[in-house]
Parts: sequence; C-alpha cells; structure tokens
Amino acid sequence: MFELGIGDVGSVNVMTSDKGGLTNEQVADLAVDKIVSISNEAPAHIRQQANQFREHLKNVLYHYLLLARKEERGSIIQVLESSGHKEMAEYIRRL
Amino acid sequence: MAIAQAMCNSFKKELMLGTHNFATNGNAFNLALFAEGSGGKSSTTATLGFGSTIFVTTGEVASSGSYVTGGAALTKVAPVVATSASTATAFADFADLSFTTATITAMGALIYNDTNGNKAVCVLDFTSNKTSTSGTFTIQFPTADASNAIIRIA
Repeated sequence: MFELGIGDVGSVNVMTSDKGGLTNEQVADLAVDKIVSISNEAPAHIRQQANQFREHLKNVLYHYLLLARKEERGSIIQVLESSGHKEMAEYIRRL
Repeated sequence: MAIAQAMCNSFKKELMLGTHNFATNGNAFNLALFAEGSGGKSSTTATLGFGSTIFVTTGEVASSGSYVTGGAALTKVAPVVATSASTATAFADFADLSFTTATITAMGALIYNDTNGNKAVCVLDFTSNKTSTSGTFTIQFPTADASNAIIRIA
C-alpha cells in the first residue's frame, strides 16, 4: 500500500503579535513546541513527566531569551552611543 | 468549509511524475496566506482543499509589512527516510516562516511549487482566523520527523 498523508495534529502552529514582535514567552513557546512533542498515546505518567520537563525547559529558554534580547540591546546601544546617536541609544535603552 | 487542510490530490500524482523536488537545492516552494469569510482583509473568500491544483489569488490576504502577495519562499528541510525498517516513513519539512510589521488576518495557507507552474502541494487550515496587527505573523512547522513532519509518505 502506498499512503501519502499530511500530519493531522502535527500541522502548523500560528503565533501572532500586535504592535511589535513576538514576546519572549511566545518565542519560548515556539522553541519548546519544536523540541518537545508528547504523544497522546503515551502512558499518563510519561506524559506527566514530559509536561514537567516541558515547563522547566520553557522557563530556562524564557530566561535566556530575556538575557539575549537585553544583551543585544546593550550592543546596539553601545554602537549608537559610540557613533554619536545618544538620543536614539536612550530610546533603545528604555525598551 | 472554504479552507480545509489537505494534501492536494494533484500533488500526489505530480510526485509520481517527478514534478516536485524537495532537495535543498531543488524547487522553490512558497507559502501564501488566505482569508475566509469577512474576517480576512481580502474581499473574496478562498476555497482551498484537496481539490486545489494551483496557486490562485482568490481570497489571498493583501500585502502588509513583510508579507507580499504571492507569499514567501520556504526554507526546505531535505527529505529523510530511515533505512532500517520496512515500514519507514519518508518526510520533508520546512523551516518556520515569519512576516513582520504586518497587519494580517488569515484562516489558512497554501504551499505551492514556485519553480514548476505554481502547482499546489498542500493546504493548511489554521482552524480559526489568526490576526497580527502591526506585528509578527509566524507559521511554525512541525518537528521534522516521521511522526510530525508536514509531508510524510508511509
């Protein structure tokens, strides 16, 4: 038998934002969804452990995403200040 | 339902005709967004499903932010198949796609072959209107494996 199928539950996930980019939490969710997938057919205790791992992973990712954005802003501010754009650097600092 | 998730029937035949090449240096595939009903920006309603054969503009959302009508090119994940099992599943997938600073309401999407006559591959149904307002609209593809990938042959 030759069977061609598209993922049913494994279809795409859409994430949107208003007036700006995705939040750290949304990006962390996207990353976790990519890393951890839990089968609906897995035993309950396995699903429970997997869900706990998923939450832990999300918290770790969230923390480092926050740090990454902060550090990148720091680099941008440094570049702006060193090229004389102090006002723009201040805008970025307040984000 | 005007937009129904499906692997297009024409695509199944075209695979046997060698129309679609998912290798990383193969054909270019695009993803275009579509609206359904009055929720979308488009004044026309898209009708997409297993019978779709080609990309059409009817019901496509309007250009906004980094989204331009016709959709955007997808980054392919090269097809893979396990060689150790007789029941192995071959699969192909794509990298996530984002449109930024975009005001979009979309109910679904069509993936089509931009290299070979805009031939349809599959229809994605978001199940409800997804909206970004001067923001980011991200389509996250499933994990590229035999159980989840977007295109699988078992």
